[in-house]
Amino acid sequence: MSALLDPGFRLTLRPMTYPGFYERYRAAIRNTWTVEEVDFATDLVDLRDKLSPAERHLVERLVAFFATGDSLVANNLVLSLYRHLNAPEARLYLSRQLFEEALHVQFYLTLLDTYVPDPDARHRAFAAIEHIPSIRRKAEFCLRWTNDATQLDALRTRDDRRRFLLNLVAFAACVEGLFFFGAFAYVYFLRSRNLLHGLAAGTSWVFRDESAHMAFAFEAIATIRREEPDLFDARFADEVAAMLDEAIACEVQFAEDLLEGGVAGLSVQDVRRYLEHCADRRLVALGLPVRYRTPNPFPFMELQDVQELTNFFERRVSAYQIGLTGEVAFDASF
Amino acid sequence: MEFGAFDMDLTSEGAAELRPRGMQVTKRDGTRQAVDVGKIVRAVERCADGLDRVDPLRVATRTISGLYDGATTRELDELAIRTAASLIAEEPQYSRLAARLLSVYVDKDLRGRGIFSFSQSIERLDSFGILDSRLTEFVRRHARKLDDALVPERDRELELFGLRTLYDRYFLRDPSGRHVLESAQTFFLRVACALSDEPNEAIALYELFSTLRYLPSSPTLFNSGTHHPQLSSCFLLDSPEDDLGAIYDRYKDVARLSKLSGGVGLAFHRVRARGSRIASTNGRSNGIVPWLKTLDSSVAAVNQGGKRKGACCVYLEPWHADVLDFLELRNNTGDEARRTHNLNLACWVPDLFMRRVESDGVWSLFDPKDVPSLPDLFGADFDAAYEAAEAAGLARASVRARELYARMMRCLAETGNGWMTFKDRCNATCNQTAEPGHVVHLSNLCTEIVEVTDQAQTAVCNLGSINLARHVNDLGFDFEELARTVRLAVRQLDAVIDRNLYPLETAAASNAAWRPVGLGVMGLQDVFFRLRLPFNAPEARALSREIAEAIYFAALSASHELAVERGPHEAFPKTRAARGELQWAHWGVAHDDARWTALRDAIVRDGLRNSLLVAIAPTATIASIAGCYECIEPQVSNLFRRETLSGDFLQINRYLVRELQDLGLWNESLRSRLKEAEGSVQGFAELPEELRTRYRTAWEVPMRSLIDMAAERGPYVDQSQSLNLFLESPTLGQLSSMYLHAWKQGLKTTYYLRSRPATRIAKATTTLPSTTSAPEDVAAVICSLENPETCEACQ
Repeated sequence: MSALLDPGFRLTLRPMTYPGFYERYRAAIRNTWTVEEVDFATDLVDLRDKLSPAERHLVERLVAFFATGDSLVANNLVLSLYRHLNAPEARLYLSRQLFEEALHVQFYLTLLDTYVPDPDARHRAFAAIEHIPSIRRKAEFCLRWTNDATQLDALRTRDDRRRFLLNLVAFAACVEGLFFFGAFAYVYFLRSRNLLHGLAAGTSWVFRDESAHMAFAFEAIATIRREEPDLFDARFADEVAAMLDEAIACEVQFAEDLLEGGVAGLSVQDVRRYLEHCADRRLVALGLPVRYRTPNPFPFMELQDVQELTNFFERRVSAYQIGLTGEVAFDASF
Repeated sequence: MEFGAFDMDLTSEGAAELRPRGMQVTKRDGTRQAVDVGKIVRAVERCADGLDRVDPLRVATRTISGLYDGATTRELDELAIRTAASLIAEEPQYSRLAARLLSVYVDKDLRGRGIFSFSQSIERLDSFGILDSRLTEFVRRHARKLDDALVPERDRELELFGLRTLYDRYFLRDPSGRHVLESAQTFFLRVACALSDEPNEAIALYELFSTLRYLPSSPTLFNSGTHHPQLSSCFLLDSPEDDLGAIYDRYKDVARLSKLSGGVGLAFHRVRARGSRIASTNGRSNGIVPWLKTLDSSVAAVNQGGKRKGACCVYLEPWHADVLDFLELRNNTGDEARRTHNLNLACWVPDLFMRRVESDGVWSLFDPKDVPSLPDLFGADFDAAYEAAEAAGLARASVRARELYARMMRCLAETGNGWMTFKDRCNATCNQTAEPGHVVHLSNLCTEIVEVTDQAQTAVCNLGSINLARHVNDLGFDFEELARTVRLAVRQLDAVIDRNLYPLETAAASNAAWRPVGLGVMGLQDVFFRLRLPFNAPEARALSREIAEAIYFAALSASHELAVERGPHEAFPKTRAARGELQWAHWGVAHDDARWTALRDAIVRDGLRNSLLVAIAPTATIASIAGCYECIEPQVSNLFRRETLSGDFLQINRYLVRELQDLGLWNESLRSRLKEAEGSVQGFAELPEELRTRYRTAWEVPMRSLIDMAAERGPYVDQSQSLNLFLESPTLGQLSSMYLHAWKQGLKTTYYLRSRPATRIAKATTTLPSTTSAPEDVAAVICSLENPETCEACQ
């Protein structure tokens, strides 16, 4: 039986059972950023002068999704992950993640306030989850999995643990791993066209955080797998596959909505292929066989895979670490 | 429609489902036409001659896969360029292909607007009233000769990133429709004409620019020949006097300089510290932080013609009692009222401080109001005054010198800012400080300019950089060609002094007296790649030193020649050069050979036209136009993403790719691993060790050798060098050792400390591992390759 999913509330940090989680916590601290560092100055010019109506529609919908997406993740974190991942070092990481989700909400809130100056239009944008079917469908996907996990007050049986595991997978592989990765692709597309630097800069920091969240969740899943391998049976594989299919369908519907005006360089078919490509990577991370075998159709996503070098004249450098250790010395090698 | 013929070949791209049967594009006249793959392929093929490794069909089919029904032909053209660009990481020749597609697109556009020649481009620009009348008259007078001198094929020298940067930001446009009215060649010729008196001179300069052997700095490229010819890159402002009016006057100076593309250095040593009494109101001062906060907002508000934001670096001497607050200004936590995210910061460090760090002594902090003479003293005079103030009990506080030094190092590690620049060394070696009363108070925004300032003199410098990569031939490095380039470059930089529009009186006054210029270099790394030398190999170091000596010698010769023609600069008698002291004399180097002796005697006899000649600037933007590596820097990575205002571009090391192709090793799996390894080849055991050594990145070359190479160059750099230092995950021990070494080696200035993010973005596009191994194993492998010494996960 998985010790990590033991019902209870373990408090002792030493000896540490899962030092990897603690290292992730420390790495996250070193990458602190704040919304105030993001410069939106040129975004407003782009929105006004450079974007076509079809592209503006894409941007507004997208930001509307982001503004709610991170809140959904935060809810699930509190209602499910924090309760059931029973290791204080894991909860340290989750506390940090919760802060980061709040920061992301603040970022997209600031963004929408900046992008949409008209109060009525702004209210409509924030209410996206209520009245835009493609966003609503994604939210329902999230809420369904969160609700399922909230019914578990403690993981007593194998079936409880299986259900929790699916909750973990749903948020790591589908919500963070497909919904967010899909949304990031639109931002990187715009950036590859030299548009909306503020959105892109903040989003790449969000992306960096979300990548770490996903890596943490996959490490938790790999830990559970080590501790209780028989949870990962054929039924689990089938359920994950069905879940990914559904998530891709949700996201493709969202793409049809975003791209309804026609945007050169982004077609709905290519978005689907990109999602399938990502889904295969999630399957590999879960130790499951790949399902779609689709190559990545978006060359501009290669850009974000590569370390950045910013000319300081042009943008703020986002690559600095926080935290310096050691003592003054004069004989260290460099 | 010819799609059927291609269906068979498209499977590798997975495009079979994308048959655009019936898909149409909207032409510029509004009519619709069926998409024709064949036509697109032929258009791409016309641009692909000589590019043996590109596949035009692939570009065409991928372009169509991203198209939507009803897209415009303009969108189609732009998408084809972006598509070619997206293949650069696989095959660097696609960069040339994309650049040529863009060049065709620009030409098509210009022809559509009735512009077929250089003189027509100038006439059109003139019709909008944005050109200087001297330029338009010059071009009218010599229209035929100039039109004939233009070489359209030179467009083919450009990489995509270079041409894209020119197109988005440098070419002049009509003010209302924002249509581009220049091509790369007419642009280069326009700048050359604006800086010349004679057509032959203009054509010689055009040759230099268009073959990418030398480029002037961005402000010169932006503004030459326009009605606001502010051509200088750098301005250095002395600290405002400790007075409300003086401080507000300085804000205005900074704003006016920034507006016209200048980067500004501003000292703040004279402004009183927190807690200092204000006589007129009997209150207490809040110190320098609130003033710098106001400056921060002012700098952010200035937009350099929509081209880039204003930029300013504030210098402070570390005896100032507010120095600890100063070092916090760039932190991203804490009270926002005490943070300045738009200002750069530098410490102007006296030797006495470094000596006290070394001896673990105590360091006293003063209010400038109590010690007003300190900013104007250096060397032994400074030491004496500082110690006298200590003895007189004037210190506001004292700290352990090492504690303050640690705070400076922390600022560098956490923000990259707080550049270490050395006050005494800058003053002792500066050609302008021979006589008392002439003091260097700061360096500039990029730490390569070292010139005297005072309340009546704002130092100015015009910059340009030689592309060393274009001075290598089959026999090796071409020193004769280099000397020719230097001569033309110095004459051009000197001409800028007279044609420049000076936004401030104090700047005009200073430049008239001193006439300094800053000739730098770029592409040193390219030279080493082409000659197959590891960056810090003894041969590479020797060559780097020889190049620096050759440039200084040729630059002095050219400036002497100008002095003979037009007379020496006004303040020449007050310089060290007038006494026969050249830069190398300050570095313990003797040149007793006939060549140097003759030059030195000639200089003492006839003078120099320019008090300062060599400054190695960062060249970030012009290196990308020239398609070479930046200044004297090692490559940052074999594969990286460059973020600019023109969008993001993937940069791949084309020298490496070519070598790996020759070895038959350049394939999808290696590309994918290169990406996973953040552009490092050090973990690739199948590559010969010798090759791996040559393709180390800035993170992998020892920093000690970069500092030593800068010091070896030092005797021939009469201003300074923008020396970036790179440490992946620095520790305090490393940083404190490294900067002490830089000081001991006699460096005048250092620039950014670069480090890398602690967590990374998950990769979306690398190849899936063939086995379903646990993901943390992959992470462990990457991390040990990247970071063998400091990675905590592996201990």
